[in-house]
Amino acid sequence: MAFSKKILSLVLVAVMVFSAVSFVSCGAETNYAANNTEFYIGVSGPLTGGAAIYGIAVENAANMAVEEINAAGGINGMKFKLVAKDDKHDATNVSNTYSTMYEEGMQVSLGCVTTKPGLEFSKLSAEDNVFFLTPSATGDDIPKVANGYQMCFADSNQGAEAAKYVNELYKGQTIGVLFRSDDPYSTGILAKFKEGLDSSITLTEANFAGETVASFDAQIDILKGCKFIFMPIYYDPASQFMAQAKDKVAPDAVYYGCDGLDGIDSIDGFDITTIPQGVSFISHYNSQATEGPAKEFNDKYIAKYGKDSLNQFGASAYDCVYAIYNAMKEIYEADNSKIYVTMSADELCELLKAKFNGGFKFTGITGEYKDGVQSSISWESTGYVNKQAIKYDVKAPTAQ
Amino acid sequence: MEFISTLINGLSLGGIYAMIALGYTMVYGIAKMLNFAHGDIIMAGGYAIYVFLLLSGNPIVAAVGAIVMCVLLGVVIEKIAYRPLRGASPLAVLITAIGVSYFLQSIAQIVFGSAPKMIIVAQLGIIKLGGVTIDVSALITLACSAVVMVALTCFVKYTKVGRATVAVSEDKGAAQLMGVNVNNIITLTFAIGSALAALAALCYLLKAPSMYSTFGSLPGIKAFTAAVIGGIGSIPGAMLGGIMMGVVESICNSVPVIAPYTDAIEFSLLIIILLVKPTGFLGKKRREKV
Amino acid sequence: MGKNLLAGFKWKHYVNYAGVGIFALVFTIMSLTTGLPSSTLYLLEKIAISVILAVSLSLVVGFLGELSLGHAGFMCIGAYIGGKLSAVLEGVLGNGVLTLILAIIVGGACAAIFGIVIGLPALRLKGDYLAIVTLAFGEIVKTIFRNTSNESFGGTLGLPTPRYDKKTLFIFAFLMVLACLAVTQNIIRSKHGRAITSIRDNEIAARAMGINVTKYKLMVFTVAAFFAGIAGVFYSYSQFNVQSDKFGYNYSIEILVMVVLGGMGSVNGSILAATLITYLNTKLATMLTGEMAVLQNLIYSLILVLIVIYNNAPGLKGFREKYNFGILMNKIIKKKPEHEHHEGDDSAQWHRIPTKIKMDEIISTDIVVKDYTKPDRANKGDKGDE
Repeated sequence: MAFSKKILSLVLVAVMVFSAVSFVSCGAETNYAANNTEFYIGVSGPLTGGAAIYGIAVENAANMAVEEINAAGGINGMKFKLVAKDDKHDATNVSNTYSTMYEEGMQVSLGCVTTKPGLEFSKLSAEDNVFFLTPSATGDDIPKVANGYQMCFADSNQGAEAAKYVNELYKGQTIGVLFRSDDPYSTGILAKFKEGLDSSITLTEANFAGETVASFDAQIDILKGCKFIFMPIYYDPASQFMAQAKDKVAPDAVYYGCDGLDGIDSIDGFDITTIPQGVSFISHYNSQATEGPAKEFNDKYIAKYGKDSLNQFGASAYDCVYAIYNAMKEIYEADNSKIYVTMSADELCELLKAKFNGGFKFTGITGEYKDGVQSSISWESTGYVNKQAIKYDVKAPTAQ
Repeated sequence: MEFISTLINGLSLGGIYAMIALGYTMVYGIAKMLNFAHGDIIMAGGYAIYVFLLLSGNPIVAAVGAIVMCVLLGVVIEKIAYRPLRGASPLAVLITAIGVSYFLQSIAQIVFGSAPKMIIVAQLGIIKLGGVTIDVSALITLACSAVVMVALTCFVKYTKVGRATVAVSEDKGAAQLMGVNVNNIITLTFAIGSALAALAALCYLLKAPSMYSTFGSLPGIKAFTAAVIGGIGSIPGAMLGGIMMGVVESICNSVPVIAPYTDAIEFSLLIIILLVKPTGFLGKKRREKV
Repeated sequence: MGKNLLAGFKWKHYVNYAGVGIFALVFTIMSLTTGLPSSTLYLLEKIAISVILAVSLSLVVGFLGELSLGHAGFMCIGAYIGGKLSAVLEGVLGNGVLTLILAIIVGGACAAIFGIVIGLPALRLKGDYLAIVTLAFGEIVKTIFRNTSNESFGGTLGLPTPRYDKKTLFIFAFLMVLACLAVTQNIIRSKHGRAITSIRDNEIAARAMGINVTKYKLMVFTVAAFFAGIAGVFYSYSQFNVQSDKFGYNYSIEILVMVVLGGMGSVNGSILAATLITYLNTKLATMLTGEMAVLQNLIYSLILVLIVIYNNAPGLKGFREKYNFGILMNKIIKKKPEHEHHEGDDSAQWHRIPTKIKMDEIISTDIVVKDYTKPDRANKGDKGDE
């Protein structure tokens, strides 16, 4: 079939050349957004594969925010649209998702949902100067570009906070830690946690690797003597650990985690009250909130997408969209010639950077809610977020 | 004491690997194909347990239902995807199996969503023996895998169909001439392998109650490794390999410093064993001729 | 002189160089004059990397007939070693061609060394046993790089590597494709190539003919690993960050799919399949967004299964001969169908590839070994028959 192959190759070359030529008209420095009819918000996240739940939560919640904003009239009638592309939690795909969105006219972005591909996204977006505010890529290096900001707490921040908390309560005692050795979220928090830990505290470490954990038996054996177990991991493995360890770890022990643990009490089929140990975590959002804006969000989200994918990723994304919208709106209200639908990403980035670095304050659904007041959020010029963390006690240890 | 509980945990994990490896090994022995979709049958089994548990609320009904579902799934996959390729290059079958594996994963994500499902089949608790705490689930797993192995051995040795299975795996053509319906035997093998996968899913869920669409791939690969260590095609070999993998994994995990390297250690073990014994522990040596 | 040179010249031997060359040249001219959008440049880099991987793997799978599921492992070594070197050299030599070349040489060489290491068990193991060993190797490499410290190879966060200028990186990558083609084809079309294919077709017979099986197996594994390492170096240059997760067995399988769909033992087929699959995967990922994203794998898997069944099912042979791409094209351009069924010296048909992968054929009957039929005991590999 040599002939057919030759033909096939010719056809192939023709198709590829054609598809490339069709783009050539827009050179490297053009404004891809020139034909936009709405503001284009792009986000790259895992929509398939093992981490899909996080990307889907972000996409759902951000879409919800965009719909609400559009229903309310956008910025003086100028509407928004959200586009999410699948990076499969793999940094290799980010150049594709990012450049495609950029060439489709992306003007502002929510960056990447997860840290690993996010590192690639930061650098790529810096080349074109596209403003991004990531809801959930917690890596310390993510906002280390001028155009990058975080809505979530950075890993090191969470590690340091946790160390402070432990130092107050457990001086001179032995505590345990369970971390995932192949996840930068987990190892990043742990590194800072260890740095900040009081020297009188002894640390017993156990770790696991991979998305699939056959059993936590070995880890439970290591940690079963500890009264306090720090868990800088996500809620899914944490819930597995807790379910397996409930009869082996002391019933008055406490599990303590970071924002990854949020959602531990809403897992389908896992009743947290069946485990005797205490669970608490420090986060910027509470998926079980009983009052305030967070509760409103939760109700809306559950009504629309069900409670399966309700987690802090979504909540944070919802806030991201609103923060960008509010910032743009404030800029528009100060000078209505500055914001227009066909503006280039670069232009918008400069405006938003100036806004975020200039003490922009935003009140959303994440952050502490106390005495009927939702605390406000601001950003440092380094891109890290400033907001009040919530310490949420999911349950106290059940007395035996 | 610590070591004993590590060992028991390893044995029960090994029992699960052994059940999956048995499926691998039987399918390999008969169809001479690496069934990369085998791991995803475990995932399907897990979700089937979830569905039947929701419908009936009874763990035993759920387990039986899942086994039936998996058997059907295995047979259907064999009929649609593998049978047309009988007689084609084994590589073609391998690629098809990979395609089936992707297919099952995406179907699972579409139907059950991407959030992991917590599936608590039964609350079994623990037993304290002296200073050792043992999970009841571990004992059930061990019992299950022992029963499975004995049953399979008896089936292969003492029943007519079982002997036909051996005949087909030795020489398809000759078996056919002797009146064995090769197609039926191959279907039966897939059915048995899938049933074992469902059983493995059940034991998994008793131990670690969480299920998601890409769940099957790593246990699948590990069990395949176990089957190769034991000598692929050999039933006691699969059992031995599975138990070995489980114990090694458990011991590695119990030492925090080497725990991150668990996978690397298991796979190095495989390479070393194969270098020393190229057909695995209990694999048959096969003569090559021109 | 000139006449003699032309006498041996066969156009079909050079059609792939011409194809790849023209393809690359068109884009090079466009990139350097009018400029290309980044997405196209990134896609071109990915295609070049896939083609290098597929062509080098086809040497092992298609020509030597051994199943390797660890190609991504060699790539991983190249990506990490080459990436680390370029990160170090960036401060000294700058991020230029010189650094690129050095990284390519070192990355490729390191991978090649591991190719020898993995080639050694390949001398003892066959078929699926070798497949699992190569798979294991890939996973080991991945795990080790993942657990390195942040200062050495980046650990879980991945190794930060300098990215090469995107406007020119794909040109170098395509030059490397041409080099890879040249090496591969020259091996295949030489007496070494015939030796290698004879090992594939019947190892024992090849041995009996006096072919040094050990040497050729090692050679193939080393060359394949070398190019996989180079693909890794290009990968590290196309990223800001090299993460070990990428190099799992799933990626090895993806490369294998390219080789198999391209037709075993066909270099041109591998090139085409690698190009098409990379193009499709990239486009599917960006075209199907939102709720549709989950359909990517569904579509991909269905296409995969259907193509393999169509191409290989024995029952569909008649159907295949009636409806295929060649006949379709012939009908369109109204040309008489070519009836002559000619096989190029490098195109083996896949139902003809026997072998080591297919164990059941080898073991079908036992013969009583009489003295005069005993194999030559001088060859080590044949030991242990009894």
